[in-house]
Amino acid sequence: MSLVQQSNASNSSGGSGSGNLYDVLELILDRGLVIDAFVRVSIVGIEILKIDVRVVVASVDTYLRFAEACNRLDLESGRKAPTQLTDIVGDTVESGAKGKSKGALTGAVEAFSDSLKSGRDSADDDSEEKEKERRPARKSTASSSRRSTQRREE
Amino acid sequence: MPTYIYAITGADHPLRLDGLKGVGDPPSDLRTVRTGDLGAVVSDTPSDLRAKRRDLVAHQSVLERLMAEGAALPMRFGLVGPDDDQVLAALEQERESYTARLGELDGRLEYNLKVSRPEESLLREILSASGDVRRLSEFTRQNPGAQKEKMALGELVSQEIQVRQGTVGNEITSVLTAEAERVSAGEPTKAHFLNVSFLVKRDEAAAFSQAVYEEAERRGDDYEFTLNGPLPPYSFV
Repeated sequence: MSLVQQSNASNSSGGSGSGNLYDVLELILDRGLVIDAFVRVSIVGIEILKIDVRVVVASVDTYLRFAEACNRLDLESGRKAPTQLTDIVGDTVESGAKGKSKGALTGAVEAFSDSLKSGRDSADDDSEEKEKERRPARKSTASSSRRSTQRREE
Repeated sequence: MPTYIYAITGADHPLRLDGLKGVGDPPSDLRTVRTGDLGAVVSDTPSDLRAKRRDLVAHQSVLERLMAEGAALPMRFGLVGPDDDQVLAALEQERESYTARLGELDGRLEYNLKVSRPEESLLREILSASGDVRRLSEFTRQNPGAQKEKMALGELVSQEIQVRQGTVGNEITSVLTAEAERVSAGEPTKAHFLNVSFLVKRDEAAAFSQAVYEEAERRGDDYEFTLNGPLPPYSFV
């Protein structure tokens, strides 16, 4: 079982710790109430978040990557006893997939984190903030085009 | 000067904002505007507003504070009115609708759940379940130049992934919907096949978290559940 629960609402005196900001970014940017008569400031980065990931999953790149990942798993399972598989293959495939997953979406993810960064560079945000900001962006890049889309067509 | 809007509340909300600052650099000062029945938390709008971390945190922090002390309708980040008077006019014009929504959301919180599964574990499941996938995988492994079969394999796997994650996503959502008042499906993210928000009564929040915990336990190590909350009810306004 794996459950991460994040909350910073109890921290109501000093404002958000923002450790989980990245995880709720789309709520802040895409949900919430709007007043029809008012404008929404055009904000660099928001549109990039809303990329249609279906395009990516149904791409030649993705198909080839899935095929190669299957080939690797298949090969491993032919060689090793099934009971040992999980750990051993886990490492191999994970590192392999990280390299391979630099597909079409990665560029977009990087563009998005760039836009966060460029905003930052012009300002006085301190290095601690930079560190926090990069970490989730990188995490997203590593898994970019893989798992994202699979539910889109239900 | 354009007025940046954070949230709309009822007139009875304490609107305690001490220690908080608004968007912008230097941070803007927060202020409140009120009609007879409603209030709004606003600030001046910085000229170069963008989705910077600093500004997102400011926006979110205001909403979390308001959420802790009463019902509030969270605005989407970046919403700007021409001036305070026109914000007041908008509150007046939509008074009934906002008041009704505040009533519906009073004492309720949003919890956002994201679920991911490592690709490798999913591929392993598909390989063992589908004879077609195994055959194509075996064939392409021995014939690395067989591009057509590779594409067919990839497409088949892609379809299998969508079906399986769709099924699991629906199951998880269904179990947890029973523990919540409302549910709002979000777009899957680049890492998570399931992204769904639940509206939960404040005094049932512990039971809801427990239900998520139990569901995560039932799914086992192959799945990673990330539960964020309590949050302002962004998805339910």
